[in-house]
Amino acid sequence: MNCVTCQLKELELESTEIRDVLRCILHTIFFHRTLSLVRPKDVDCDFFEITYVQCGLPELEKEVDEKIDQFVAWVEKHPNRKSQICLSFFDEKNKHPGWFGNKTERAYWEQWLINLHVMSPKRYSKSSSSKVLTNIGGNALEETSSRRSALESSIHEVLFQIINFANEKKDHIPAIPDRIFNHEIMIPSSSDSVFGWNTVALRRVLNSGHPYSL
Amino acid sequence: VPIRSPDSIPTSPPIASRSDLCSLTAATSHAAQQQQQLGAELERGGGGPSSAPAAMSSGMSDSAGGRAGAELMVEQFHLKVLHAVLAVRAPRPLAGGAGAASFRRWDSGFHLPLHDPPPPPEAAERLDALAPGEPLVVDIHLAPAGAGEGGAVVERWTVACEPWPDAEGEELAVNRAYKHCFTLLRSVYAVLRFLPAYRVFRLLSANQSYNYEMVHRVGSFAVPFTRDEEAAMRSYRFVPVETQLGRLVVSVQYLPSLSAFHLEITSLSPSMLITDYVGSPAAEPMRFFPASLTEAAGSAFPPSYQQQRPHSWAPPALWPHPAAVPQAKFSPQVIYASPTPSPPNFQGGYQQRLMRGESAPMCIPQVGERRSPVHRQNTLDPSRGFMLPPPSPRRVGDLGAAGAQESPSECGRLIGRIEGLRMVDPYASSSPRHKGKDSKEESGRFSALSSCDSPRQDDLDDADYPFVVDDVDTPVSQLGSNDGKEMGDQAGSSSRKSQDAQVGSLVHLLRTARPLRDPSYSSQASRAESGEVASTSSVMSRRTSDALEELQSFKEIRERLLSRSSAKHQEPPEKP
Repeated sequence: MNCVTCQLKELELESTEIRDVLRCILHTIFFHRTLSLVRPKDVDCDFFEITYVQCGLPELEKEVDEKIDQFVAWVEKHPNRKSQICLSFFDEKNKHPGWFGNKTERAYWEQWLINLHVMSPKRYSKSSSSKVLTNIGGNALEETSSRRSALESSIHEVLFQIINFANEKKDHIPAIPDRIFNHEIMIPSSSDSVFGWNTVALRRVLNSGHPYSL
Repeated sequence: VPIRSPDSIPTSPPIASRSDLCSLTAATSHAAQQQQQLGAELERGGGGPSSAPAAMSSGMSDSAGGRAGAELMVEQFHLKVLHAVLAVRAPRPLAGGAGAASFRRWDSGFHLPLHDPPPPPEAAERLDALAPGEPLVVDIHLAPAGAGEGGAVVERWTVACEPWPDAEGEELAVNRAYKHCFTLLRSVYAVLRFLPAYRVFRLLSANQSYNYEMVHRVGSFAVPFTRDEEAAMRSYRFVPVETQLGRLVVSVQYLPSLSAFHLEITSLSPSMLITDYVGSPAAEPMRFFPASLTEAAGSAFPPSYQQQRPHSWAPPALWPHPAAVPQAKFSPQVIYASPTPSPPNFQGGYQQRLMRGESAPMCIPQVGERRSPVHRQNTLDPSRGFMLPPPSPRRVGDLGAAGAQESPSECGRLIGRIEGLRMVDPYASSSPRHKGKDSKEESGRFSALSSCDSPRQDDLDDADYPFVVDDVDTPVSQLGSNDGKEMGDQAGSSSRKSQDAQVGSLVHLLRTARPLRDPSYSSQASRAESGEVASTSSVMSRRTSDALEELQSFKEIRERLLSRSSAKHQEPPEKP
């Protein structure tokens, strides 16, 4: 089975907005790919006028939050870098049962690449003039507001991107289990490339022979 | 999205209402059961959860009812989308306990439980009238509050099953289409929450006192937008699901921003006022009145009294309902504009009083307690005809003769009578002078007259209070020494009678008193006084001139009292 990949639009954000953005994106993907019976739960973003939907699975929420925490810790060590988070769905199959146990093989059938560019808050030029500083303070608020508004609009684009892809690519989805599909969330590690790309996910994509989607 | 003109399709009045979604009808429950059955059949046809993907995509058209199954699925899909849209576009008061815990079995069609109330029956019935390929159109309006309909369309959801031009879809498996509908419905569910109208829905559900209301219209045709409306709207068409019958298409046209609608709270909705809290006046109006007063008043406050005229504590329903008055689009009745509604300040205090269980401010004296000076004054107000002026002040001096053998003047006897009255004086406790007289129960009233007390100017102004404390103190004491026994007898007899009866008897006594200048008065006074409380004597006419003369004397007494009291107030405080 070929692995279908969706490359989402890159988002520029600050470190304080990581949790909001990642929760929104990851849970929207899970909501579209968890086709077993779920209990939809509406969640409001903290910094944006966006309401997304969770599956209502406490274990999944915990797993997502833990991964986000790890990513935030990584960002603190690698500021101002582009990074990628990969959400993959796979089937697990027994491969070559042997004397020493069964080996399982993962057959990835779909992965979502979330591209983020986490930036440090802008530093403003130093000036001795108090009037200039006052203007800078006012400008800072205005810049933050416009930046956040632009980010909110970009998040909407990403969400519609997810919806489009989730509905266009459905035939490869396996039989619906009575639970959530097998999955993994991979975040950049120290051994990853300078650009923060997930090398494992990248290798998987290259090996699948399937071009990037979207 | 095919937009048909009204002429090409059979017209039927669309439903435009802010309908109640809280009733579960037999029709919708039957539809829900059908969803359950359909889902179970399709999943069984797919071989269960662990079957290979090929089994799911194989031609399963023969199982699960085939075309009939497809028709049922399409119908249920329409209903599901309608339910999902109205659940978050028809504001209703937030109900406690709603949420994930209230899932019901019939909700879980297409693996998407909707725990909100189902669409109203009339909306669901619209689905039966749909011809093949005819769209189901749900318009969401933001209309001025109270208008009921009209306003601007902020969203338009369209669901249609576009039939195949030929038999293209005959080979399509029902269960495959059913599974694809899962994803499509998830997307519809998610987008319903992305769009700006969702936030407005939540605002209006939390507080129904806004100047706008969200109204939905369910129909089978879409009223074309104007060019400007079309330009202002954005469109999104979901990826369709292919079925045997055709392609299930869902699309939405929406305004990307609703900031042009200045949502403001216009008035405190009556439904937000808790009128039936425990101990409220509305629930127990008689509770806040003393039992003695209500008994004395008899039917003064009948149960229907409150309904006749709304009081300040009456339920708001009795007041003119603001929703009955059509409001302008830009309502001038805006109290404040806050994104987080809270009660306005000028009503907050009132509401908070109600919420705390306090009653409307009332000041009703109880029987048996001290009367207000005004009340007492009114009783003796000559203008009200309750009394005749007492003897002229010239006679007071005569009364001052201690131990005088001459018969006490009528004034003194009248004073004595009044001393015997059980009239509680509010200033009694503040009168150090008359503490000693409390045992005799005679100083209540005089303490009010004491210049060292606080005889209020207004009380004295209102009535020609004839009694001079300093002047009558001595005669009273003297009277007490001379006629103590008699006074005691009188007091004893007075104590057994009500205050009202005593006042009445005093008035009668004054009326029947002989003129001051009657030389035979002194001899007749004692006879007239005996048993005076209950006795009846002949009414003697008085000449007008006598009355005027006595009136003049009372005025002099009054002026004397006033000057004395003002002099007392101006005295410097006593040195310790």
